[in-house]
Amino acid sequence: MSKLGCSSRLMVILGIIVLALFLTSFVMGPLGSKFFNIQVPKNLQVSKPFVQLPSEPIFHIGGFNITNTVIASWVTILVLFLLFFSATRKMKIIPGRMQSFAEVVVEGIYNTIEGVAGEKHVRTFFPLITTIFLYVVTNALLALIPLWGTWGPIAHSAEGTVIIPFLRAANTDINLTLSIAIISFCFIEYLGFSRIGPLKYLDSFFQFSELGKAFGKLFKGDGKSFISGLAFGFINIYVGLLEILSHFIRIVSFTFRLFGNMTAGEILLGVMTFLVAFIAPVPFYGLETLVGFLQAMIFAGLTLVFGVMAVTSHHEEGAEQH
Amino acid sequence: MESIGINWQLLVAFLVNFLVLFGLLTAILYKPVLKMLDERQAKIKESLEQAEKIKEQTSRSEEQIKAAVEAARKEGQVIIAQASQIAEKIKEEAKDGAHKEADVIINKARAEIKLERDKSIAELRSEFSNLTVLAAEKVIKESLDAPKHRKLINEVLDQSSTFKQN
Repeated sequence: MSKLGCSSRLMVILGIIVLALFLTSFVMGPLGSKFFNIQVPKNLQVSKPFVQLPSEPIFHIGGFNITNTVIASWVTILVLFLLFFSATRKMKIIPGRMQSFAEVVVEGIYNTIEGVAGEKHVRTFFPLITTIFLYVVTNALLALIPLWGTWGPIAHSAEGTVIIPFLRAANTDINLTLSIAIISFCFIEYLGFSRIGPLKYLDSFFQFSELGKAFGKLFKGDGKSFISGLAFGFINIYVGLLEILSHFIRIVSFTFRLFGNMTAGEILLGVMTFLVAFIAPVPFYGLETLVGFLQAMIFAGLTLVFGVMAVTSHHEEGAEQH
Repeated sequence: MESIGINWQLLVAFLVNFLVLFGLLTAILYKPVLKMLDERQAKIKESLEQAEKIKEQTSRSEEQIKAAVEAARKEGQVIIAQASQIAEKIKEEAKDGAHKEADVIINKARAEIKLERDKSIAELRSEFSNLTVLAAEKVIKESLDAPKHRKLINEVLDQSSTFKQN
């Protein structure tokens, strides 16, 4: 009873502290200070979120600019390496805690891919899809750690003094999202060409065989169906061109989906912190955790789906439809 | 393009980063874990199969034991039946033997008794005849010659049923 009373009293005290923090930060923030007309000391003000899309170079190696997002992606790689290296250093039939974790991650993703791609293609897709997922999700989740975007040299520019952070959410660099999108695109097209053959893969876009059939009709002297076949053949080629264009557009959509979501998340967190420094951004941190996870899943999942589409040729699907 | 930060140098850097991560994860995560999962799956399958085999073996040997017990019981029953048959036979034989022996003994006894009787009768007869001869001698005072006399007595005796010689 006394224990319960103690803990509930603690809860009340915590609640009061949370409320006080919220109210103070609200009143001291830009909204409250405008409303109540309070002069807040300059060093207590949270600086306005400074939106800069290109990442900022931190140092140079030769002619190479090493930007904060590059460093952040190194950190991601390092974290993933250390995590899984320690987990899989000594593999045992009866796994320990870390090994279990690694196995749960691998097995979970493996089973998901198996569900989409089928047993035949799992091992083809697994390494790349898993890498994309782990990379994006780790980038996103690490960026929510307060170390990211908060410390670094101060730069004076026309807009005032800004911190150039040593670490910036790696997913907010369009070069990173573009790089994964290009790899995803190359992977998908490579699968298409190598798994069902270059000619067949191209044929799945243009359906040359329909055109061939039309010419076959011409030799048989069926002029009417030759003309309609020719027309459909050219329509198919046009559709094929559009489809090829859509494959390239995938790069753009991949790039900007991840980049946009992550950048928007960063800006949202910055704005919330700017408006109400304490408590109010917490739910948004939760939201951003979810978004990071979701975006990683979408990126990996779409690559998987496109890959499966490339591996199972259009021709078979078309044959089923006819 | 510059304003959103696309930069071929950075692009190359990130491509390299991704490929490095891909290689690292393949080496330290996918290969060992998938290998381990496959191994474990194989092991589980194997042990399940083994368990199935052992179960089968057990049931088979159980059946064998049952069959052996059944056979032994049947054999035992046969042996018991045989034994009781034999016992019956022995009993019968013993009975027969005893009967026969008893018969033999009885016969022998009878023969002996008869022999004894004959002997006694013969003895008695000769005694009696002697006695009679003596008495007749004394009575008649005249000695008949003995063989004649005996003949006479025998004739007499033969007429009496009691001392009839067979």
